Amino acid sequence: MNPLLQVEGVAMHFGGLVALDHLDLTVARGELVSIIGPNGSGKSTLFNVISGFYSATRGRVMLDGEDITRASAHRLRDKGIARTFQSSRLFLDLSVLDNIIIGMHTEKPPTVLGVLFRPANAGRELNDCARRAEALLGEGFGTLYEQRHRPAGTLAQADRRRLEIVRSIARGPKLLLLDEPSVGMAEAETQGFIDDIARLRVNFPDLAIALIEHDMRVVEAFADNVICIDQGRVIVRGDFSAVRKHALVQEAYLGKAAHADA
Amino acid sequence: MEPDAPKRPGKGAAIILTLFFQITVALFIYALLKAENAVVVALLLASLGASFWAVSRNPAALDQLAATLRQHRAMALTLTLLILLAVPLLVGSDVYILHLLILAQLYAVLALALNFQLGSANIPNFATSASYGIGAYASALLATGLGIGFWLAVPAAVLIATLLCLAVGLLAMRARDTHLALVTIAFAVVVHQLLNTLEWTGGANGLSGIPVPTLFGHSFADPLHALGIQLPSQANFYYLSAALLAVMILAARRLQASRVGLAWNAIRADEIAARAQGIDVTRYKVTAYLADAAFAALAGAIYAAYISYISPENFTFLLSVTIMTMVIVGGMDNIAGVLIGAFLITVLPEKLRLFSDYRLFIFAGIVIAFLLIRPQGLFPKRLRTYGAAA
Repeated sequence: MNPLLQVEGVAMHFGGLVALDHLDLTVARGELVSIIGPNGSGKSTLFNVISGFYSATRGRVMLDGEDITRASAHRLRDKGIARTFQSSRLFLDLSVLDNIIIGMHTEKPPTVLGVLFRPANAGRELNDCARRAEALLGEGFGTLYEQRHRPAGTLAQADRRRLEIVRSIARGPKLLLLDEPSVGMAEAETQGFIDDIARLRVNFPDLAIALIEHDMRVVEAFADNVICIDQGRVIVRGDFSAVRKHALVQEAYLGKAAHADA
Repeated sequence: MEPDAPKRPGKGAAIILTLFFQITVALFIYALLKAENAVVVALLLASLGASFWAVSRNPAALDQLAATLRQHRAMALTLTLLILLAVPLLVGSDVYILHLLILAQLYAVLALALNFQLGSANIPNFATSASYGIGAYASALLATGLGIGFWLAVPAAVLIATLLCLAVGLLAMRARDTHLALVTIAFAVVVHQLLNTLEWTGGANGLSGIPVPTLFGHSFADPLHALGIQLPSQANFYYLSAALLAVMILAARRLQASRVGLAWNAIRADEIAARAQGIDVTRYKVTAYLADAAFAALAGAIYAAYISYISPENFTFLLSVTIMTMVIVGGMDNIAGVLIGAFLITVLPEKLRLFSDYRLFIFAGIVIAFLLIRPQGLFPKRLRTYGAAA
């Protein structure tokens, strides 16, 4: 059986800048991969290529054996790739529930004519989405359920991160890409986030998760499968203690530090 | 924890409050339409400003009023309908009021149609005048040139305008923000220039002699007889534009409350996040544009038949800006707000003629004052509620 995601020799150039340089990566169904690497190593670019926001300069991306290299972002969400962003991107003036309902957009995308001429049907669909969004919130996720009617813009930072994850899984994706989800969280909030992810893995055993992470507490919590990227290439993959000791990883981080000191 | 439900008055008090509110609004509108003296207009505007200022100080009161009105929706709707039906009776021989109300209703349709884009999806479309004008010209040309009857020419004109806007929209809606605004401005200017220069649209002279519609043998140029009462011929178009506005409000309500409305709101809030949720952003922006164009063309076709003479000067870029002002002053993505904005901005310039040379100055001052008192519009957009919270 094919792995869920195969990134094969992907390069991403912006003019003369090489953000990704022949990168290979596979993610299996239900697997959690932590991606680490110094700033500017190409982690977020990789997510943008996988999720269809960028189109790779070279190489190909396969999902479930299907070539998705040139597919657009909205189509890939329908095919099962959901993502969050480095700085959270919620629909701030809409309620928590509405944010989640929009995450279900790709199941039967609504049409203007359908809404105008079959209003009862459209209303039923919307109420059904609202009920399922409430049920999803009922499975945990801190106090989001209690705050479900509030505008997302009034949520605390950690809850915004949480809501972004709930919105991403609302349609039951195959692959969830989390871009630095714990950034800016206090220690207790980081622990809450780790618990959320652990529960997600139990509730959705087939869901694969790729996690860009700088917080080593989070990486250690999911330590068995860590990838380090530097200068647009995967330099090592393995469990956290092995990756940490690897000479290239040391060099990537220390080299960066030495450079910053200069 | 449920969201804070506004305290509701008792049933009897609620009914009286609903009736009182509606009759006050109706009397206010009537007084404003009838006012023929600068002091009265100034007093009415001052009282309107004061009530909105009071509402700004106490937003809970507005929520409470809205909740009360929703609670007695059937009664409120019936009363509104009765008042609207009775207007031609009430104004008597003062047909100028009917004329103003017809314009206000057609502009309200334009504003609500634009609201799909500007209010729901944050698409700054400056080309309302283009779709409105294409609808007017297409139906007028079909009627005068090919002798096609009004009731067939109107849907044909809507189809033509929608298809033209589809072609423009597929190109324009890939752009964003200021670029998109520029493309729509260009479209509005190009359409105006074409209407001005093409021979078959009558050039700067426009088209005259647009035939008056007839329905079941009754010509819209004739007085309307109902219940033994004779109403002026303007009543025909008053009821026609009222019917169009009713359909528009129904469509706007359905779309706003739907998943299409949610997708538009997602695009308004964050296009990139919307794409990440699987929303085909270009497609939904084009759809908002087409919904706008179809209704604007419909309003244009009725306008042409009503006024019977159209020229490019009826469809200038300035009209687009005026319609935008209605949406922004009234309240983006709020149907009641947009309706009130459309009414005020249609009627005020007429009433301000009493101030002769200072007319535009005062009008601009009023618009700025309203935006200062209510920066989110007279009625800001509301959060959706589901099930228990409703």
